Amino acid sequence: PVSLLAMPSYKLNYFDARGLGEVSRQLFILSGTPYEDNRIPKDQWPALKEKYGFGTLPVLEVDGKQIPQSLAIARYLAKEFGFYGANAFEAAWVDALADQAKDFLSEMRPYFVIAMGMAEGDKDKAKAEIALPAIKKHFDLFEKAAKDNGSNGHFVGSKLSYVDILISEFVFSIDSFMPGSFDAFPTVLAVRAKVTSIPAIKEWIEKRPKTVT
Amino acid sequence: SMLRYKLIYFPIRGRGEVARQLFYLAGVPFKDDRITISEWSSLKAKTPFGQLPVLEVDGHQLAQSFAIFRYLAQEFGFAGDSPLEALWVDVTADQHKEYENKIKPALRFQGSEEEKEQLMRNVAEPARDKYFPLLEKIAEEHGSSGHFVGASLTWVDLLIAEHASILLKQFPGFLDRYPTVLAIVDAILSTPKLKEWLEKRPDTAF
Repeated sequence: PVSLLAMPSYKLNYFDARGLGEVSRQLFILSGTPYEDNRIPKDQWPALKEKYGFGTLPVLEVDGKQIPQSLAIARYLAKEFGFYGANAFEAAWVDALADQAKDFLSEMRPYFVIAMGMAEGDKDKAKAEIALPAIKKHFDLFEKAAKDNGSNGHFVGSKLSYVDILISEFVFSIDSFMPGSFDAFPTVLAVRAKVTSIPAIKEWIEKRPKTVT
Repeated sequence: SMLRYKLIYFPIRGRGEVARQLFYLAGVPFKDDRITISEWSSLKAKTPFGQLPVLEVDGHQLAQSFAIFRYLAQEFGFAGDSPLEALWVDVTADQHKEYENKIKPALRFQGSEEEKEQLMRNVAEPARDKYFPLLEKIAEEHGSSGHFVGASLTWVDLLIAEHASILLKQFPGFLDRYPTVLAIVDAILSTPKLKEWLEKRPDTAF
């Protein structure tokens, strides 16, 4: 445990959503590190955009200095707080799965915008042509990774890492749009079960703002 | 004697080149396994994500290009000199990847002159003008002595310099509005050990 005097001040700026900011929130909570959870309403974003040097969210402020890019932020916090694998090779595997998960999210985006009514389109067609193939393609890999790791409730090694949290959150979001989407991936679901059974995370999930994504 | 490291990729620079450069700069021997398309079709199912590059370390496989680059960079000392520097290397690399994904349709496009011009105006130039001011800002705030982040060579220097050299071959003058970036790219490509590699590496179009 670090003395409170030595700890930097942390502020996480993101939308009122889970998305790509949630993994960092959970890292703060798991490590017992105080942080400011600044949620910017979507309608205020255009006016505030200039204030954030890179024009995107999330932005982490460490002692007032702004840092963009969700996965870079998550990796930095995971390293600081000890959720980044037990050695360099495990860390690389955590990163590899996280990059793959981000690719997955990008492939799902066209489905999400239709499903959330933000773009014109046939929701069922989007599900069949975009969502289901993307889920199969990436979650076959995640299922294999979890199995090859020994089906111990983690994607890599024997301790919680940030990619366990990241993929668990994506599962939660997508399952809320398409229940049962991950029934074919029981080892992935076991990782999510393990993450959400941690008391601090369980408590957070119960009390956090309820958002669509 | 068995080599510890094997890099499996196609016989191009693409998403494998930064790893090759890191090995060369570190003076670490590795098996540069350049495979054919037919070899790939039988290997694909045996890789973690069905993609290349794959790095083998003592027989253990690792996938995803940036995870590979970051791993090698950390082993060999090209990942920044502090956790904050490593963070800014990662930020810059992810920012660069988003830009590269946007500009990709405009590179190596094989259509009509009119379509090429449209892609240039509607895709390439906006992607460039969104990203390169941010890159200049990063270099100004976090880089020195001819580097994008920190005061010594990092894997993101190699990533950006490699991209710039391909880009400018196809579109000379494309980055004229960003002289700071051009100067840093020049400095990186002039690093003696890297120059050695650039001169002796297999010559491929990209």
